[in-house]
Amino acid sequence: MRFAIIWTIFRKEITEALRDRMTLMVVVGLPMLIYPLMVTGITKLQRSQAATEDKRVSKIVVWGDPPASLVDWLHRTNHLELSFNVGLSTALQQDLAAGKFQPPAQSRAPAAQAQPVPGSTNAGADEPLVNAARNLFAGPNADAVLVLWPGFAQAISNDGLARATIYLDSVQPSSAKAEQRLADQLATFRKDLVEGRERAHQLTQGFSIALSSRAEDVAQLQRKTGRILGMGLPFILIMLSATGALYAAIDLTAGEKDRATMQTLLCSPVHSLEIVAGKFLTVWCISLIAATANSTSLGLTIGSAVAASGLTLSPWTLLLVLPCLLPVTCTISALFLAVAVLARDAKDAGNFLGATLSVLVIPMGATLVPGVELNAWTSFVPLVNIGLLVKALFAGGAKPEFVFLALLGAATYALLALVLAARVFSQEQVLLGERGGLREMLRPSRRREMSPTITNALVTFAAVLVALFYGSLLLTKLGIIPAMLFSQYGLMLLPVILITIFLQLPPRSIFHLNRPHPRGVLGAALVGVSAGVGVAGLAIRVLPPEESVVRALEKLLMLGDQPAPLWVAWLVLAITPALCEETLFRGFIFSGLRRLGPVWAIVLSALLFGVAHSSIYRLLPTFALGLVLGFVLWRTRSIYCSMLVHALNNGLMVTLVRAPGLPQKLGLDEVSAPPWSLTLAALAVTILGLALLRPPRVATSNQQPATSN
Amino acid sequence: MVDFASTGVQGQAAPPQVSLSAIGLVKRFGALTAVDGVSLEVKAGEVVGLLGPNGAGKTTTLRMLVGILTPSAGRVSIHGVDLQDNLLQAKRRIGFLSGDTQLYQRLTPREVLRYFGRLYGLAAAQIDERIQQLIRDLEIEPFAERPCRTLSSGQKQRANIARAFLHQPDVLILDEPTAALDVVSGQFITEAIRRERAAGRAILFSTHIMSEVEYLCDRIYLLHQGRITDGGTLQEILDHTGCRNLTDAFLYKLRENAASTSRAAD
Repeated sequence: MRFAIIWTIFRKEITEALRDRMTLMVVVGLPMLIYPLMVTGITKLQRSQAATEDKRVSKIVVWGDPPASLVDWLHRTNHLELSFNVGLSTALQQDLAAGKFQPPAQSRAPAAQAQPVPGSTNAGADEPLVNAARNLFAGPNADAVLVLWPGFAQAISNDGLARATIYLDSVQPSSAKAEQRLADQLATFRKDLVEGRERAHQLTQGFSIALSSRAEDVAQLQRKTGRILGMGLPFILIMLSATGALYAAIDLTAGEKDRATMQTLLCSPVHSLEIVAGKFLTVWCISLIAATANSTSLGLTIGSAVAASGLTLSPWTLLLVLPCLLPVTCTISALFLAVAVLARDAKDAGNFLGATLSVLVIPMGATLVPGVELNAWTSFVPLVNIGLLVKALFAGGAKPEFVFLALLGAATYALLALVLAARVFSQEQVLLGERGGLREMLRPSRRREMSPTITNALVTFAAVLVALFYGSLLLTKLGIIPAMLFSQYGLMLLPVILITIFLQLPPRSIFHLNRPHPRGVLGAALVGVSAGVGVAGLAIRVLPPEESVVRALEKLLMLGDQPAPLWVAWLVLAITPALCEETLFRGFIFSGLRRLGPVWAIVLSALLFGVAHSSIYRLLPTFALGLVLGFVLWRTRSIYCSMLVHALNNGLMVTLVRAPGLPQKLGLDEVSAPPWSLTLAALAVTILGLALLRPPRVATSNQQPATSN
Repeated sequence: MVDFASTGVQGQAAPPQVSLSAIGLVKRFGALTAVDGVSLEVKAGEVVGLLGPNGAGKTTTLRMLVGILTPSAGRVSIHGVDLQDNLLQAKRRIGFLSGDTQLYQRLTPREVLRYFGRLYGLAAAQIDERIQQLIRDLEIEPFAERPCRTLSSGQKQRANIARAFLHQPDVLILDEPTAALDVVSGQFITEAIRRERAAGRAILFSTHIMSEVEYLCDRIYLLHQGRITDGGTLQEILDHTGCRNLTDAFLYKLRENAASTSRAAD
């Protein structure tokens, strides 16, 4: 890699790209238009909607027998239009007058509305009326129904309690508005009534009301607008930055193929890695220009119309957003470049990138959903993590823990995308305009080595992580046991096996399916029963977990609020993870990372193992456990040993949590640390166990233990 | 890094030496063998033609010679530098021009030349000097500052010749350089080829235009179905085949080769 060459390529490409009107238009022109239009558009729309609603007369249907005083009072405002007993059959009218229906005792919850709770005496007391009201709301003739229960008029005139109910359909804004107006008018009617009664009984004014308060929503409209914008802007920001990169990516790859200039470029004395670096920098740079233009335009728009838009964003927030866009634009640019170069010509590339963009849009849509926020899982979902990070920044801040995780995740994906792009560019047939086989590209480059590449390992890890995220969203309803089983077997074990088959890798060597040495088994057993206690004891001292984390972990170990039988817990929480997680982390990922040497393989696989447990508090203990497991695998060269350690360790935890009194003594599920004596004793046993570990008697020639490192 | 373009071979004694040699080149694309054991050599100051029908493997062969396709088997050496082992060093001594090559649409010819000058590692002063010289030689001046997308195909090809000759390569490899050009524009190419031959460069070019071969080439290789079926001077080939002109000899060789392959198949 010579930076002078990369710079030469970059300078030429950026010059050429910026002379393209289409690129300029998308990168700079579009953002300059879209934000002012969007902000003013949404504001105007909301205003005009509110204005039309204000102008519109609410149609109120009165059921029952209204006293003339009430009718007069309701007619004082010209926002209400009354009609009487519409939509009520004569039979129902008679039933209502006869007192067959009761006013609901309390407000209906939305769920109760759909399904009356059986056994509840009061529910359904006015059901026929409610159904009649629903039918009425389906048509255009009623926004709200005012039900006057029998004796209403008499109660008004005789100092009694007059009871009324307003039926509304909160889904329709016009109905909610009608209810609000009607309730306001009834409130003034009541006030007038109460004052009349107070006068009649010579009470001081305010005797009955005693306290008058009134809520005034002063900023509702602005807040609504702000919320809508805050929800949509991260999405638009990232998508427009991506679109900016799209044309450049096509022009720089497939466009060069079209004009056969790619061939000329390849003839010159430069490495393909230098070409991809120069081109990538160009696409990334253009994407960043687009991101900057977008942020600037957004900032200017908000700055000039902040009161109107209702967005309470400081320009500093937008300055923070820009660095967040660095990794995400990097990922997208590298991905676009890799995909576009696969295409034969520019038209093809347009289709490819269009498809890629839509694939990106779908998960990005998650950022538009109100409840989806940055957490330990979403921090690792490609693109979504940065979308949510930007959303959190717009909303006023994100937890530093998740900011770190999201940026870490985004940087990882950016790196992976870059590796992919470099990989695609090393395919000479692809560069000359033919399509290379996808399998050829994913296969390890040297056929002799029958183990996954580092990229294979990282991509598999990322894929499993993403699958686990979406799986966890889908599986929450299933209950903890099926969810655990499905995510372990279906989302961890199965993908690894499928990837292994796809890449045609030999399972025996990459999963270390070797019969262990008896001393290896003994050592593993010792490590298994002691490592958890020792490691957790140390980890709790270094980073005491939060109360909520401890409770969540406890709940997990109990398999829900109701403790499951011990054997089920062993099966689900000990045997299953030992099988699935070991196959993934100590099998596939370890084999891929093995190329870096044993130390890196152990440390990195442990780190990924820790990261997959997705909590900063569990990161340290699981990372430590991962180190132990990796070491066990490396020493024994048998995955059965690391599975044994894993199963015993988890099984011990599960058992301890169920044994009353024991956990407190050991301090394993408490925030306070266990006694040093116990921790040290456990660590001593662990070290003894590790020392006992031996490779199998018949070691295959290519798996000799590394003596140094 | 030694600047091979400037120190070159001029200092060494005893020309004509072999500038370009290929031994046993094979290229397989999956099950298809596009080039099947091609060996050839071009000496300094020599123009060699590679003649073959469409799909004979001309382009694949040339792409292996310029180092953008890796041979499945065989070696290429440029002035004794092994292409596969010293890819960049060897590429610096090759100039490549293809008939279908376009230029960067939104750059001017001068910008394109400067870009490639930098990629070939030439010094800034040298680049400017070479560009001036080539603009004069190839009469590029009138359109040197216009975006390439506005140029006619003849003008584009002249700019492309300048691009291929810019770094004064010892070996020129031309893939159907006159395809899609009119007589006048083609003339620029043939003149340039003659000039470069006089300057002692080794030139290999592929074509299917017989007349061009007849009046330009010192030697000829006939390529058919990925194999060299005959090689030598024009006269030698006419003697081998007993034909009176190259077109007849070419067709004769095609038939002969087809017959021998079908016999081999039986």
